[in-house]
Amino acid sequence: MGSAHSLPAEMRALAEKTGFTSDQIEHLHRRFKQLSRDQLTIRKENFDSIPDLEFNPIRSKIVHAFFDKRNLRQESDGLADEIDFEDFLTIMSYFRPIETSMDEEQLERFRRDKLKFLFHMYDSDRDGKITLHEYRNVVEELLSGNPHLEKEAARSIADGAMMEAASICVGQMGPDQVYEGITFEDFLKMWQGIDIETKMHVRFLNMEPIGHCY
Amino acid sequence: MVRSDPTQNRSNGPRLPAAALLALALAAAAAAGAAEARATAESRPPDATAMGASGGTAPSPSGSALEETRLHVFTLDYPHVQIPFEITLWILLASLAKIGFHLYHKLPSIVPESCLLILVGLLLGGIIFGAQEKSPPVMNSDVFFLYLLPPIVLDAGYFMPTRLFFENFGTIFWYAVVGTLWNAIGIGISLFGICQISAFGLTDITLLQNLLFGSLISAVDPVAVLAVFENIHVNEQLYILVFGESLLNDAITVVLYNLFKSFCQMRTIKVVDIFAGIANFFIVGIGGVLIGILLGFVAAFTTRFTHKIRVIEPLFVFLYSYLSYITAEMFHLSGIMAITACAMTMNKYVEENVSQKSYTTIKYFMKMLSSVSETLIFIFMGVSTVGKNHEWNWAFVSFTLLFCLIWRALGVFVLTQIINVFRTIPLTFKDQFIIAYGGLRGAICFSLVFLLPPAVFPRKKLFITAVIVVIFFTVFIQGITIRPLVEFLDVKRSNKKQPAVSEEIYNRFFDHVKTGIEDVCGHWGHNFWRDKFKKFDNKYLRRLLIRENQPKSSIVSLYKKLEIKHAIEMAESGMISKVPSSVSLSEYHEGKIKPLSPTEMENMREILTKNLYQIRHRTMSYNRHSLAADANEKQAKEILIRRRHSLRESLRKTNSLSRERPAAANTKRFLSLPKNTKLPEKLRVRNKTSSKVGDSSDSEMDAATTVLNLRPRAGKILRDQRQKQQRPLPEFRMEWKNEVDGKQDGAGAHQETSGQPQPSVGFRQPLLTRSRFGTLTGEDLSADHRSTGPMPPPRLVRQASQGERQRNKPENQPY
Repeated sequence: MGSAHSLPAEMRALAEKTGFTSDQIEHLHRRFKQLSRDQLTIRKENFDSIPDLEFNPIRSKIVHAFFDKRNLRQESDGLADEIDFEDFLTIMSYFRPIETSMDEEQLERFRRDKLKFLFHMYDSDRDGKITLHEYRNVVEELLSGNPHLEKEAARSIADGAMMEAASICVGQMGPDQVYEGITFEDFLKMWQGIDIETKMHVRFLNMEPIGHCY
Repeated sequence: MVRSDPTQNRSNGPRLPAAALLALALAAAAAAGAAEARATAESRPPDATAMGASGGTAPSPSGSALEETRLHVFTLDYPHVQIPFEITLWILLASLAKIGFHLYHKLPSIVPESCLLILVGLLLGGIIFGAQEKSPPVMNSDVFFLYLLPPIVLDAGYFMPTRLFFENFGTIFWYAVVGTLWNAIGIGISLFGICQISAFGLTDITLLQNLLFGSLISAVDPVAVLAVFENIHVNEQLYILVFGESLLNDAITVVLYNLFKSFCQMRTIKVVDIFAGIANFFIVGIGGVLIGILLGFVAAFTTRFTHKIRVIEPLFVFLYSYLSYITAEMFHLSGIMAITACAMTMNKYVEENVSQKSYTTIKYFMKMLSSVSETLIFIFMGVSTVGKNHEWNWAFVSFTLLFCLIWRALGVFVLTQIINVFRTIPLTFKDQFIIAYGGLRGAICFSLVFLLPPAVFPRKKLFITAVIVVIFFTVFIQGITIRPLVEFLDVKRSNKKQPAVSEEIYNRFFDHVKTGIEDVCGHWGHNFWRDKFKKFDNKYLRRLLIRENQPKSSIVSLYKKLEIKHAIEMAESGMISKVPSSVSLSEYHEGKIKPLSPTEMENMREILTKNLYQIRHRTMSYNRHSLAADANEKQAKEILIRRRHSLRESLRKTNSLSRERPAAANTKRFLSLPKNTKLPEKLRVRNKTSSKVGDSSDSEMDAATTVLNLRPRAGKILRDQRQKQQRPLPEFRMEWKNEVDGKQDGAGAHQETSGQPQPSVGFRQPLLTRSRFGTLTGEDLSADHRSTGPMPPPRLVRQASQGERQRNKPENQPY
């Protein structure tokens, strides 16, 4: 609690920027320090210390997302080596629940931001398109928790999903048309039916800090 | 009413011909006539003309007792079969009414189906009352609780969207338990207050009786609301809240009802009894759930071993869930809780263990049973509405109605204020309104009041009347207005689509992301526990409960299911897939043939539909204990494999940018197998072994292309059409490839597709030139005559690219 009161101005700035309440920021800050071992920045290795994350099949994608500069709202591209607390908050803010006070436009932007985050997780080569290859990668990773499953199955699933994507986004393709990959616009289209804004959130409010996570 | 709508009959059962329906209807009419005639005959036994009219040679039952026994050529013994006969007729009538109801497609979207059922019940009640039938079959407590209620609850529990349910579990539980208590006690006490006013003449109703009445009238009926909700696709949050509430609410209501009933039957009530009652309440609920979960696991475990005897698979689901209900009732625990828990527990595992067919059977049978139960309850209600067992009291009836509405609205509002604090996504005011307004009362309410012991409740008739009024009001007025209201209030809808593979992938991905983020920020939340359970589930439960060599991931199984479903659909309807496909009719397009007119297309489709697979159905032999050779499934598999090939094929093409002409995506595709066609031997063998998604024949390296033409039966009709229109006909054939091993995907794509643009070089060479295909030669005609026996499809091997025509020399002839 002590650190919160020592930097009220900085805190307020952060709260404004990310939309978190000061309580939440405090919680997250404590967690941040826990992860970074009291350093100012977090590096990739720090994520290794989270035991539960180890079993996550898409662990690398999640960790990647933290260092992806596109998610950090920076103009530049590529991967950051380390992130500071503000970046950490920025990433976390993608997972804020909607607020009732939001108007239509804000909601829409909110939704877009969330989807953009997900899109970046799929689009690992940053070309703005989820190609079949990338899609396969994702599905393979998703199913990697299951040793009995051959890669082939994952592939055919990815292929099927890609076909679906093509049929949703392009509809009837012309004979000369090539579906190169899912662009962000297509991605938006495909998520139309899913209420991402009510689903993509983590409860930051009543977080109970965990004493020992190492 | 007698007409059978083809869309209605699309269930997978054999189609009931219209003639049979007609016959049934006639029989029903005749029987009704007979019943009436008998009723009049009973009132005036000596009247011989009535007897003659009713059954021809049939002597009346009363008369036959006096006569010396002679062998009758033809006798009519209606009383012997009366109850099952009448019940059958009721169900039949109600079902026919449903057909009629759905004939006009706009009607069901305006009026809930329960309205119709009640109307049918009223009609029947009117007939029975008019005919002064002495003993219409009536419901009693055992019949209701042991036979009619379980199917309804089982259906609801089994089809409960588990995930959504648990995501909103807190809120649902809150509404169901606290809300029901609130309603029951609120309505009970305020009605008791009304009863104290001596002007209304209700002073003999005690507080306990009022509480009992309050508890039974707070049972919200899911069916009516859900029908409306499903119809208009309200957002899933709202849907699950109302659904879950009404499901749990039944259990709570029944427990409360039994509790108050036993209080009412007691002479004196001590404080201990009240505490015992509260303890009982929890034990009954929790005990029921435990029994249910236990039996659910046993059921899942049992289905692990049923793969040799598929036919009885569905039976286990029903037996175990019914067993859980009965067992719970035996210990005086909540059977409803037990059967719900059982259904929810087993459903996930059973679904993966049983075959596609058994799964469909389970689904249909469950729906059927529950709709029969419901129909019967509504008809009982209608029948007992018309009659003399009523006591009208303006004050009681109207105050009951008023309190029902007020307490429900208040309850939802207050409870939501409290629960909103804990919800991440708070419920809006509109949601609250719809939840409150969706509190329709229904079958359970009525059954409970109907089953009150009259000895303890001298004013039972008054209660019945009040309940019926409440049900009628809520079902008719609220039920009909809720839809316009949802539209008016612009409640958030969900645009529901068919479950798609990509959606499942996204959702899974999403779950993992969320859990990952929770892990990162060190928070044990909802997702954390779900994740923990999943791990436990994967580690122990699934291993124990699910048969080996099943696809282990939900994505895989969903994919499989979708594929099979899709394949079956296509086979059933000769459908054109919207998915851009590579099954290449591109050569046909190059030939600059005019695209088909829609009517022509329609004709073709019809032909295809009618000629698909029939030969196999015909040869099926009947066996009570097993279904012959799972024909449909095999077909599905064949198609499935084809589809997958075509799918990948086109993907590969879409992926390779070097190609000039990618998948001829806009060509319409008839993905279907002509009747009389057999797969080449090799493929058939493979089909037998390949039941998994994973090993989908990718191992085969020879990239044989098989062209199946949909020629045989359709040939004549095609020719006729052609002669009429003097236009070349398109080829309908299916081409599919055994693809090169998937591992070569990247490279193979280029290699393989590079030859594409020139059909004469690549091995996509059509088997027949178009001209040949378009004009059916004499040879074709003779082939037509021969085609009563199965004919293997032509098979093209790689060498076919040399331009050889091999159509009439099928290689591996199975015959």
